[in-house]
Amino acid sequence: MAIIERPSTTPAVAGSAPSFVGPADAYGAFRRPVTSRGWRSWVFTVDHKKLGIMYGVVAFCFFLVGGLEALLIRTQLAAPDNTVLSAGTYNQMFTMHATTMIFLFVMPMVSGFANYMVPLQIGARDVAFPRLNAFGFWCFLVGGIFLNTSWFLGGAADGGWFMYQPNASHLFSPSHGVDYWALGVQITGIASLTGAINLIVTIINMRAPGMTMWKMPIFTWMVLVVQFLLVFSLPVITVALFLLTFSRVFGGQFFNVQAGADPLLWQHLFWIFGHPEVYILILPSFGIVSEVLPVFSRKPLFGYKFVAFSGAAIGFVGFGVWAHHMFASGLGPLSVAVFSVGTMMIAIPTGVKIINWTLTMWGGKLRFTTAMLFAIGLVIEFTIGGLSGVTHAVSPSDTQQTDTYYIVAHFHYVLFGGAIFGLFAGFYYWWPKIFGKLLNERIGKWNFWLMVIGMNLTFGPMHMIGLQGQPRRMVVWPQNLTGDGLFNLGFWNKVATVGSYILGLGVLTFVWNVTRTHLLRKGEVAPLDPWDARTLEWMTSNPPKEHNFDAIPTVHEVDEFFHRKYEEVETDHGVRLVKTRSAEEILADQEAHADAHIHMPSPSYWPVVLAVGLVIVAYGVIYSVLLAVVGALITLGASFAWALEPSTADPSDFDPPAGTPGKELANV
Amino acid sequence: MTRNIPSPEVAPVHDSPRRVTRRRVGLAATATGLLVALAGCARNAPQDTFQPAGENARSIDNLQRPVFYIAGVIGILVFAAVGYIVWRFKDRGQELPIQGHGKPILEIGPIVLSAALLLGIGVPTVATVFKLAKTSDTQCVVIVTGQQWWWEYTYPVQPGCAAGGIKQPIVTSGQLVVPAKTHVLAEIQSNDVIHSYWIPKLNGKRDAVPGRTHTLRLEADQPGIYSGQCTEFCGLSHARMRMQVAALDQAHFDTWVTNQTAPYQKPTDPAAITGEATFQANCSRCHQVDGMADSAGKPIISQPELYVVSGSAPNLSHLMSRNTFAGAVWDLLTPACRDKVWHAKPEEFSELYLQGVSRECLNEKDLRDWIRDAPAKKPMYSSDAQIASNNGLSRGMPNLKLKDDQISQIIDYLVTRK
Repeated sequence: MAIIERPSTTPAVAGSAPSFVGPADAYGAFRRPVTSRGWRSWVFTVDHKKLGIMYGVVAFCFFLVGGLEALLIRTQLAAPDNTVLSAGTYNQMFTMHATTMIFLFVMPMVSGFANYMVPLQIGARDVAFPRLNAFGFWCFLVGGIFLNTSWFLGGAADGGWFMYQPNASHLFSPSHGVDYWALGVQITGIASLTGAINLIVTIINMRAPGMTMWKMPIFTWMVLVVQFLLVFSLPVITVALFLLTFSRVFGGQFFNVQAGADPLLWQHLFWIFGHPEVYILILPSFGIVSEVLPVFSRKPLFGYKFVAFSGAAIGFVGFGVWAHHMFASGLGPLSVAVFSVGTMMIAIPTGVKIINWTLTMWGGKLRFTTAMLFAIGLVIEFTIGGLSGVTHAVSPSDTQQTDTYYIVAHFHYVLFGGAIFGLFAGFYYWWPKIFGKLLNERIGKWNFWLMVIGMNLTFGPMHMIGLQGQPRRMVVWPQNLTGDGLFNLGFWNKVATVGSYILGLGVLTFVWNVTRTHLLRKGEVAPLDPWDARTLEWMTSNPPKEHNFDAIPTVHEVDEFFHRKYEEVETDHGVRLVKTRSAEEILADQEAHADAHIHMPSPSYWPVVLAVGLVIVAYGVIYSVLLAVVGALITLGASFAWALEPSTADPSDFDPPAGTPGKELANV
Repeated sequence: MTRNIPSPEVAPVHDSPRRVTRRRVGLAATATGLLVALAGCARNAPQDTFQPAGENARSIDNLQRPVFYIAGVIGILVFAAVGYIVWRFKDRGQELPIQGHGKPILEIGPIVLSAALLLGIGVPTVATVFKLAKTSDTQCVVIVTGQQWWWEYTYPVQPGCAAGGIKQPIVTSGQLVVPAKTHVLAEIQSNDVIHSYWIPKLNGKRDAVPGRTHTLRLEADQPGIYSGQCTEFCGLSHARMRMQVAALDQAHFDTWVTNQTAPYQKPTDPAAITGEATFQANCSRCHQVDGMADSAGKPIISQPELYVVSGSAPNLSHLMSRNTFAGAVWDLLTPACRDKVWHAKPEEFSELYLQGVSRECLNEKDLRDWIRDAPAKKPMYSSDAQIASNNGLSRGMPNLKLKDDQISQIIDYLVTRK
C-alpha cells in the first residue's frame, strides 16, 4: 500500500490556472508509477528514507572497494622495492583509493544520513524536491559505476585525485583513465549539487512549527552548513573538470604552458574546491557525534550555539585557506604568510568543538555503547589530526612535510579517525531507527576496538615515516633511505601494513554484524526509544512510517523529544530530573491526533532515466560522438518527460481512495 | 556479556565500564609507547626533517620544534581530560544530570587562549617565511631543471661560486655539486610536468612548475652528501626520481669546476676507443658528451628534442665524476666504495668525492642492466608502440636492444668520463 501525493483541488493562486497537472491533462507519456513492492518501489521511489538507505548501501559497497585498494597499496609498501603492484597500477590504485573514499563513500554516505535523518529531525514528511533527490542518488550510482568501469576499459585514472596539470594532460596520461575520472566526478558532483539545493530548501522551509533555527538538532545544523559549502565550492570543480575534459578531449589549451597558460590555474581551482571539500567530509560527522555524545552522556550538548556557530565559522574560513595545499608551489612569501595565518585561524573554531564535546561529557552519566565509543574515538583521533594540522599551518615547516607520509598520517586521522568514526557512530546510533533492529553491541565493541587499534597502527607510524623523509605516492621505498636501528622506516612501514589488515578486519566485523542482524535474522527488534534519545527522529516508529509522523509535532525546545519525556521536579534534595512519559505514550498520543491530510510525493520514472542518459553522454565523450548524441537525446527526453509528467498518480491509485480522512492513512 | 541497551523506563544498565576504562588506559599506554619509540626510532635516516644540516633547514627546525612540542602538550592535555571524564562520569547509577546548556566563559576563555597561542606561533612563522625567501645574499646560482624522471643542473657563467667564477656553463645531472658554507640559489624550472626539489637537510621543498622559475636557497654547513627525492607526483616513475646534493669544501669545489670545464679527453685505451664509436652510434643522438667529435673531426651535438618529450637527456661528459645514475636512483659505486664516500667524515669527504668512480669501484651490474633495457629497470613510456602513438617522442629512455659486447664497449668508454 502506498501513500501518494493527493492533488489539491483548489488552484494555488486564485484566478490563475491550476498549479497542478492532473493525470487526465498531462502531456507526459506515462502515468506515475505507484508500485509499493518489489524492485520498482526502490528504483522509482522518491521517498527520502528509501533513497537514504540506497545511498548508504551503495556508498558502503564503494567503501569496501576503496578499502581493498588501500590494502593493496599497503601490501605493496610492506617491503622495500616490492613488486606486488607495477608502477602504473600503483598510481591508478592511489588515485582511485582517494577518489572512491571521498566521492563515492564519505560524501554519499553523508548524503544517505542527511537524506534519511534531516526530514525526521526537523519534523518534515519528505525533502522539498523529492524527484531531484532521486535524481541525485542515481547520478551518484551511475557516476560511481562509470568511474570504476575504467579499470576494465584501459586503466583507471593515474594522476592522483588532485590531477595536477600538466601531468594529467593527454600527453602525460594518454589512457582514458583521467577522462573517466573527470566525467565521473562531474556526474557525482551533480548528485551533491542537487542534494545541496534540496536540503537547503528543505531545512529553511520545512521545519516543524516552533522549530526555529536555534532549536534545530545540531546534525541538521552541520548538514545545512555543509550544503552551503557544496553550493559554493562544487561549481568551481565543475568548471575545472570541464576545462580538464575540454583540454584532454577537444584540444583545449587552458593549462598548456606553450600556449601561454599557467598550470597553477588548475591548482587554484582544484583547491578552492578541495579545501572546503575537507570540511564537507568532516562537518557531518561532527554533527553526528554532537548528537551521540549528549544522548549517551544524558546531557544537552554543551554550548549548542557555539558548536553551531563554530561549524559555520569553519565552513566560512575554510574558503580562505586553499593555498595551504600549495605552500611549496612557489606562490611567493606574502601569499604564503597570509594563507599560513588564515589556516591557523581554523584551529580556533575546531578547538571550540573539541572543548564542547569534552564538556558535554563532563558531569554526565556516560553509557559506553558502540556509538558512544566511536564518538569518543572521534574526539581523540580527530584531536591528533587537528594538532598535526596546526603544524602544517606553519608554512616553513609544511615545506618539509608536504607530500610526505606525515600528510598522509594527518588527513587519515582527520578523515578516518574523524569523518569515518563519526559515520560508524551514526551507523550504530541510528541503525535501530532505520531498520528497526539493533546491531549487536558485543560485536560492535570488537568492531570499534579493531578499528581503533588498526587505524592507529596504520596511520600512527606514518607520522614518523613522513617526518623522517619518506614521500608519498611512491610505488617503492628503498632500503638505503630507511635509516639505522631496529625501528627504522622499513620497520614502521611493516607496522603500518599490519595495522591496515587489522583495520580491514574491523570493517569486516561491521559487515558481519550487519549480516548477522539481517541476513541471519539474529538481530534483536529495537525498542521504540533504545537510547533514551533527545531529538525528533526518535519520536516515531522504528523504522518510521512512509509519512514519518502521524502528526507533525510542535517544537518548544532544542531537545524536544527529551523534554517531552522528562521534567524537572523540585524535591527535598533539590531539582531532580524525572521521566514522566514514555516514548510509547508520546507516539500513541501522536497517533490519536493524526493529521487529516497527509500529502506525500508520487514516485517517478524520470530521475533514473535522466541519470542513465548522462552516463551515456559521458561514455560518448570518450568513445564516440554518436553515442554522446544518443545519451543527450535520452537526457533531453527525460527532462521533458520529468517536466510534463502528471504531478500525481491516477486517483484510482490512491490509498485509501480520495475522500476518506487521513486518519486511516496514518495507520497503514 | 549483558546487552547494553537500556529500556527507556529503567535506569540504564551499563556495560562493564571498568573494562572499557582499562582498555582506554591501555590505549593511552600504547600511544605513549609510540611516542617513546618516536624518540628512539630510525637513527640517521638520510632524509630526516628534524636533522638540519644547513642554515635554511635550521630556521625551519627552530620554528617547527616548539610547535610540535606545544601540539604534543595540548594533545596530552586533551587525552588526559577525556580519559579522566570517561573514568569519573561513567554511569554508576548516579542521578541524571541537570540539563544545562553551558557557560559562555568556558567557551570564550579557550577561544581567547588559543588565539593568543596561535598568534605566538604565527608571528615567527611569518618572519621565517620572509627569511627563507631572501635572495639578496646569494653567492652562487644553479639552474635546476626537472623532467621525467631526473634532474639537470646548469651552472651559468657567473663571477661567484668558484675562485675566479664560472667561465663556461657546466651541465650535470642527478647530483648537485655545490661549495659548502655558501649561499646557493637554485633556480628551479621544469621541462614537462610539475616536479618538486627537496633536500630535507638543507631546506624545504619547492615545486618545479613548467613556465616558471622558482628560487630555493640551499646551504650546507659542512661537506657531505645530502639525499632528496622529487616530491610532486610526476607520473609513472615518480618513485625513481631522486637527487643528492654533494657539498665540497671551496678548494675542492674549485677543482671540480676546473675538471668539469676541461677540454674533451679522447680515450686512449683500445677498448674505450671502440666504446667511443659504439657510444656515438647508439647514445649520442640524445646524450651529449662535450667536445666529442666524429671521425671527420666534426663536433657531435646531441638532439634529444627530436626523441624525448622533455627535450633533454642527461649530459654524460663527466658521468663518472658523480656516483649515482638514472635519476640518482642507482649507485655507480659498489656498496663498499659507496660506504666509504657517503659516510666519510666532513673533512675527508671532498677529497673522496672528487676521486669519482674507478673501474674497481664501478657497480657494473646495475649500469649494464640499465643500458640493456632501461624501461625494465625504471618504468617509462618508451616502448615502440608508445613512441609511435606519441609523434615519435618517448618519455624516458627506450630499450636500445644493444648486444652484450656493445654494452661492454659503452661501459669501457663511460668509465673514462671522469
